[in-house]
Amino acid sequence: MPETIGLHSFILSHFLLTGAVVFALGLVGFLSRRNLIVMFLCTEMMFQGVAISLVAFSRYHANDTGQTFVIFVLTIAAAEAALALGLVVLLFRRKRTLDALAWSQLHG
Amino acid sequence: MMYSPDQLLPLLVLIPLVGGLALSLLPNQVVPAMAFVWTVVTLAVSVVVACLAYQPIDGNPAVTFLSSGDLFFESFIPWVDGFGLSFSFGLDAISLWLVLLTTALMPLVMLGSFSAIKHRVKEYYTWLLLLEAAMIGTFVATDLIFFYICFEFTLVPLFFLIGIFGSTQRLKAAKVFFLYTFTGSMLTFAGVLYVAWFNASQTGLWSFEIAQLARAAQAMSLEQQTWVLLALLAGFAVKVPLFPVHTWLPLAHTEAPTGGSVILAGVLLKLGTYGLLRFALPMTPIATVVYAPTIATFAVVGILYTALICWVQKDVKKLIAYSSVSHLGFCVLGMFALNTIGVSAAVMYMINHGLSTGALFLCIGMIYERFHTREMARMGGLARVMPIWAFFMVFFSLASVGLPGLNGFVGEFLALLGAFMARDVLGVGYAVAAGFGMILAAIYILYMVGKVVFGPVLIPEHDDQHQPPYPSGHTHGKHAHVRDLNAREIMTLTPLAVGCLLLGLFPTPLLSSLKPAVDKLVEPARLVLAGRPHGEATIDEVTTIIFIDPTVQHGHPQDPDAARHGH
Amino acid sequence: MDDRAIDIARLIPWLPALSAVVCGVCCTSRKLRVLAAPVCIAAIAAAFVLTLKAYPHVFDDHGHGVFHVSWLFTWIRVGGFTADMSYYLDPLTMVMLIVVTGVGTLVAIYAAGYMAGDRGYARFFAAVSLFIFAMTTLVMADNLVLLYLGWEGVGLCSYLLIGFYYDKPSAVAAAKKAFIVNRIGDLGFALGIFLTYHQFATVQFSELFQILATQPSEASTPVQIIPFLLMLGAFGKSAQLPLYVWLPDAMEGPTPVSALIHAATMVTAGVYMIARLFPLFELSPYALPTVAIVGTATALFAATIAMCQYDIKRIYAYSTISQLGYMFLGLGVASTTAAVFHLLTHAFFKALLFLTAGSVMHSLAGQLDLRHMSGMRRKMPVTCWLMFFGCLALAGFPFTAGFYSKDMILADTLQKGLTGHSTLYTVLAVAGLFVAFLTAFYTFRLWFRVFMGPTKYEMGQEHGHGADHHPDGVSSDIKVEHHHEPHEVNWLMNAPLLVLAAGALLAGYLAHHWIGDMIQGSSARPLRQAIGAHGAAHHATLFGMDLHLAMMYISSVIAVVGIATAAYFHWLNRGAADRVAAKWAGLVRVLANKYYVDELNDSVIVRPLRFIGYLCFVFDRLIIDGLVMTVGFVPRMFGLALRPAQRGALQGYGIGMATGTAVVVLLVLMVYF
Repeated sequence: MPETIGLHSFILSHFLLTGAVVFALGLVGFLSRRNLIVMFLCTEMMFQGVAISLVAFSRYHANDTGQTFVIFVLTIAAAEAALALGLVVLLFRRKRTLDALAWSQLHG
Repeated sequence: MMYSPDQLLPLLVLIPLVGGLALSLLPNQVVPAMAFVWTVVTLAVSVVVACLAYQPIDGNPAVTFLSSGDLFFESFIPWVDGFGLSFSFGLDAISLWLVLLTTALMPLVMLGSFSAIKHRVKEYYTWLLLLEAAMIGTFVATDLIFFYICFEFTLVPLFFLIGIFGSTQRLKAAKVFFLYTFTGSMLTFAGVLYVAWFNASQTGLWSFEIAQLARAAQAMSLEQQTWVLLALLAGFAVKVPLFPVHTWLPLAHTEAPTGGSVILAGVLLKLGTYGLLRFALPMTPIATVVYAPTIATFAVVGILYTALICWVQKDVKKLIAYSSVSHLGFCVLGMFALNTIGVSAAVMYMINHGLSTGALFLCIGMIYERFHTREMARMGGLARVMPIWAFFMVFFSLASVGLPGLNGFVGEFLALLGAFMARDVLGVGYAVAAGFGMILAAIYILYMVGKVVFGPVLIPEHDDQHQPPYPSGHTHGKHAHVRDLNAREIMTLTPLAVGCLLLGLFPTPLLSSLKPAVDKLVEPARLVLAGRPHGEATIDEVTTIIFIDPTVQHGHPQDPDAARHGH
Repeated sequence: MDDRAIDIARLIPWLPALSAVVCGVCCTSRKLRVLAAPVCIAAIAAAFVLTLKAYPHVFDDHGHGVFHVSWLFTWIRVGGFTADMSYYLDPLTMVMLIVVTGVGTLVAIYAAGYMAGDRGYARFFAAVSLFIFAMTTLVMADNLVLLYLGWEGVGLCSYLLIGFYYDKPSAVAAAKKAFIVNRIGDLGFALGIFLTYHQFATVQFSELFQILATQPSEASTPVQIIPFLLMLGAFGKSAQLPLYVWLPDAMEGPTPVSALIHAATMVTAGVYMIARLFPLFELSPYALPTVAIVGTATALFAATIAMCQYDIKRIYAYSTISQLGYMFLGLGVASTTAAVFHLLTHAFFKALLFLTAGSVMHSLAGQLDLRHMSGMRRKMPVTCWLMFFGCLALAGFPFTAGFYSKDMILADTLQKGLTGHSTLYTVLAVAGLFVAFLTAFYTFRLWFRVFMGPTKYEMGQEHGHGADHHPDGVSSDIKVEHHHEPHEVNWLMNAPLLVLAAGALLAGYLAHHWIGDMIQGSSARPLRQAIGAHGAAHHATLFGMDLHLAMMYISSVIAVVGIATAAYFHWLNRGAADRVAAKWAGLVRVLANKYYVDELNDSVIVRPLRFIGYLCFVFDRLIIDGLVMTVGFVPRMFGLALRPAQRGALQGYGIGMATGTAVVVLLVLMVYF
């Protein structure tokens, strides 16, 4: 139903660009910081970058699956955040530091 | 209808499965007893199944479920419809007897373990019950994937049984056992998936029903069948184990706890021969006929080679473990004779070996429990101090050696006779060569009996002086600390002894019930031998066989076995 | 079913089987132990009575032998192969049953006294009962597989009874040797069964004989091989060359066992088997001559060894081997009558000899060495004369049992040689006569040494009452008497010996014609080569006399000369014997060491085989398992190589993931654009 589409194609690329920037920021943050909490926040950011793209595509294709999916993702991300932060607290209690490099027993 | 026998088969798998999981809810003290009860209930159900199978249909005593050779008591629980997957159950005479063997051995294993397992009791019995469920599942599955799941799942409980409850080298043994057999069966899985794909490409429908796959696979060319047979052998021959892929067995047997050894020898090795019987014979008849001599050669070499190895063992358990390899060589030899006598003998041999070798492992376990050693040089003349044990040990040794009147003889004799009669496939040379295995078996078993049971009394010193010797019931002079078997141990061994004697004197009810099912399995190979390939096979395949083995073409009519089928 | 009155014969094996179970139960309690002997004796005696009751039924109204098949239950049936638990009863079966149950009863009675006080008392009788079960099954079997069951069954009982004193390593080794050597023969037997089924599609005697009767005389090659395979089994069980080695060692068992199993019954199973399957052996022109040659060679070989042995029981063991050789010679010249006749008489006199030897042992506390006893006549008069009668029969003294049967074998051999102008059989007959001389000599060497001359003796090592009893130390409820003097044994033990002695003296004369009728009415009747059969055409003459009569004179002279020689060297002038022995020291040493056959077997067969076993084991551990482990090592190598990539730093993994994703995206882009 082309008449219902209110957004033009160049606007789609704006959204995608936004998503990519958010993702890239998250990635850079994840790779450059060693604080566990910050790293975790960065992964969440990457997640949201992907979510923005999903919503954009969903709107573009007039297909609600993408948006439904994003709602799911957000819900799960919330639950995940609760768990992950709990784990981070646990790790912090063990070694009194949030440095990710403190946990490298699994090296080969 | 008061009952519906079709639901009994899922029940047979579910009882030990649920029972095993339920054990974790119980207090430790009652776990062994409850585990025993569960196995007895399973046994009771399987006996009911057997009785129903022997019931005459339509009031005609000659017609039972067994007499057609078809699967009976079939039931389906849908699983993934789109791929034709289901949990489907069914029995024929072969699987019925193997289920009975499994369910009959399990209570005895439980009984035999009561005093041996003192730590982590709950785990031990849970794993045993799960193992039983998996083994029964393997025998009653008529769906390929279901079969394979059960087949592979048997590895998990045994891995833990060996790894946790074994002796000194248990971790290595568990690892080697798992990886060795798992690697082989992955290849088998690939092979049967290929067959499933072949079937789907032929019929346009995915199906994993073993019977359907067997029908479809017969249309494969010799080359395809050869690859499938190789894949099947990769998994099943390791499991049997056939020379030269047997080296995991002595280690696993020696390190496993008694219960594990009994199950391993009694039932798990039979999964291999059962697999060959269910898959190789019906699915790849042409390749089977062509390569039967090769496989039989490996079997014969294995018989003689491992028998000689048995003779130089110092560890009595290892001796019995190697003897298993030698014994199952006879089983495979009979199977690849590809005639009724040989294949019936192979099935009978599976049951016989389960009883007699299982019992020998129990006997040795009883000795190990008392002396904490299995070294033959450190013990001797135990007949003087443990006469009842000695009786059982000698009895089962004789059953194992194939003394006529006991069960081992019937299987061994018929397997050799089958090989001897199978002129188109194997022939006289195989039977003669394997026959020397009979002599070697006598040599190594009597060597062991002569050292351990007879001779001057030699009681091993305890390795661990802190562990107080077991309290003695009655005294035997200076050997006061050695006690003979108690009532529980006698109860463990007696059913096996009775089974050996009954199957030795009255094997015909077993053999005749097997006949229809065996004939059905042998039929494709027989048709190939007769030069009339089954179904849609093209003339090319016939020429291939004849090209490879010119004797098959005209050998058939002289076979007296086949000649009698004629009139 | 009164017309099947013979079916009571089906019970014959099962009474002893029941007794075996009962005796087995008696083993468990010291109180019940004494019951074992009566139960066992009653069961065997009842089997004997049943045999006599069944006896009249194997003849038709004209007194000709007929056979009955008495079916008991289905044993093995699969794919057209049938081997049932059913019995074949004909006159030959009856002869064997009378020997087995008759001698069995007597020996069991003797053993009740002999074994008294042994802690394995009940075990002994359980094994003896089981033996009678297996042996009667063997002689009554109506198919080859059931015969094989009895065959291996008697082998098992022999194993259990040779190893009866299982504390003694030598007894255990002897038992093992007996079982394994027999197994070698049994393999031949089993293959013979396979080939029979392969060729004739049946293993049942009644069907088999029917088929064989219509076979052309020129049989096919596979059919001709059958008798050679079966022969191997017979050689193993009946201790013929080259499988005789187990029998001398088998004397480790209690003496009643040696008498019953290793002299009277089990070892004759091979003779029975060939007689039973005679039509099969006739199909090959080479089978019977082979049997004859092996028999004669064994007879000669064992007799020479017996000359230089000092152990009483071993002398009798070699003598048994030698006499079995005679029986095989008889079979080989198609004179089944003579062979079975000798089997019958031998059962009587050899059982008697063994049991009297047991009495000597019993009173001398296990002493068996000829060099350590002399002049026992005064201490044990009854035993002395009982053994004397046995020795006469063995030596073939005129009109004793052994005289008739041995004479029949040799005469039939010579007749075959003379009428057929065959040098082979003439040579065999002459060799047989020479063995007769040796037999008379070594038999009476023993007797004169033990009972004549000055009274001297050394007691054996085994204290207490026990001849070869295990030093028990446990005072059982059976009264144990401690003797320190040689003494005559009690009448419980001597009474059965009197019966045997009567048999040893009279059986030859009494059964002379009877046995001929019995064999002619059975499957052992020669069909194709009737020359040697008793009562066949007496064409041959020797010195103008009938051959049989001439042979009687010759063998009488030989026996008397042999006895006289023995009397000179071993009674009247023992110094001369030592001088002769010193002169032929090398030969004596070879004979005393039994031609070094055991050593040869050990170094040529046993040790190399065991060495191969070691090699296989090493090969298995190193090569085969090594290969598997190497295969298992390959994935491990990959793991080792890739290990450093896992640094354990979270960022490192992140970079890896990002790079990987980027590469994949780039590749995708490159492909699509």
